[in-house]
Amino acid sequence: MLLLEKSTYYSVHQSETKRLFHVDFGQKVVKLNFCQMLALREKVNAIQLDLLFDSEVNKHGLHMLTLCNNEHLFVLSIEQVIDLVRLVHNSFAAMGLSQKYVPVSL
Amino acid sequence: MKDIARQQLSIQVESMDLLNNQIKMEAHASATYLAMASWCEQNGFFTSAKFFFKQSEEEREHMMKIFHFLVDVGGNPISPEVTGINHEFSSILEVFESALEHEVKVTESIKNIVKKARQSLDITTERFLDWFILEQVEEENTVRDIVDMIELTGMEGVGKQMIDDKVADWIE
Repeated sequence: MLLLEKSTYYSVHQSETKRLFHVDFGQKVVKLNFCQMLALREKVNAIQLDLLFDSEVNKHGLHMLTLCNNEHLFVLSIEQVIDLVRLVHNSFAAMGLSQKYVPVSL
Repeated sequence: MKDIARQQLSIQVESMDLLNNQIKMEAHASATYLAMASWCEQNGFFTSAKFFFKQSEEEREHMMKIFHFLVDVGGNPISPEVTGINHEFSSILEVFESALEHEVKVTESIKNIVKKARQSLDITTERFLDWFILEQVEEENTVRDIVDMIELTGMEGVGKQMIDDKVADWIE
């Protein structure tokens, strides 16, 4: 497995035998094909970070993330969300498909 | 090690995001022109209504062109949500002036994507947008000519009827 990107809480690896990416969420590893990686990127891009900090909108400071047509469910803290956004952006930069690289420093 | 990502996607992800925004913009333009067609029908500008029905279809075609491009390059096209369509205009001149403003915004947005694609050496996206750049020249020119014609004709007396009849010249 080739490590593409590692952040404080998570990491993304590319399989050497299958056309898959392995996203290590700590408590479980999720296997995603490229389209699912794009869908994950779309989901993290859609998160409005400023609203997560608004205690009236988000009382508990948590965010629910579903993946692969609701096959996986994650409950993330704000810190983990920010970490995941960086991880996903940087993974695409590591793949050579993005110019954006966000330094990881939580 | 296979480059799975590159095998699956032929453009930069930032270009994909910008093209998804453009899909949204074209869908918004299509809905806006439909609202303009509705206003024209209700106010007796039947030829202008035809013009806007046609424009609305064209904008949807533009949207679908980008949508299919994103499918072809292995991207993730997003079906757009369209809200905030204005249905109120004070005159036929305002309708066409709003249409011109809309076209200018679309042109600037496309130029911005070309600029960003060029910066990231995304030649595929840059080349794809060549057609849109030329199409926008035509779109802007058409609406600009109609606005000029309205100003020249004036809206007094039979002016409104003459304006509506004359719009037929721009319906292919």
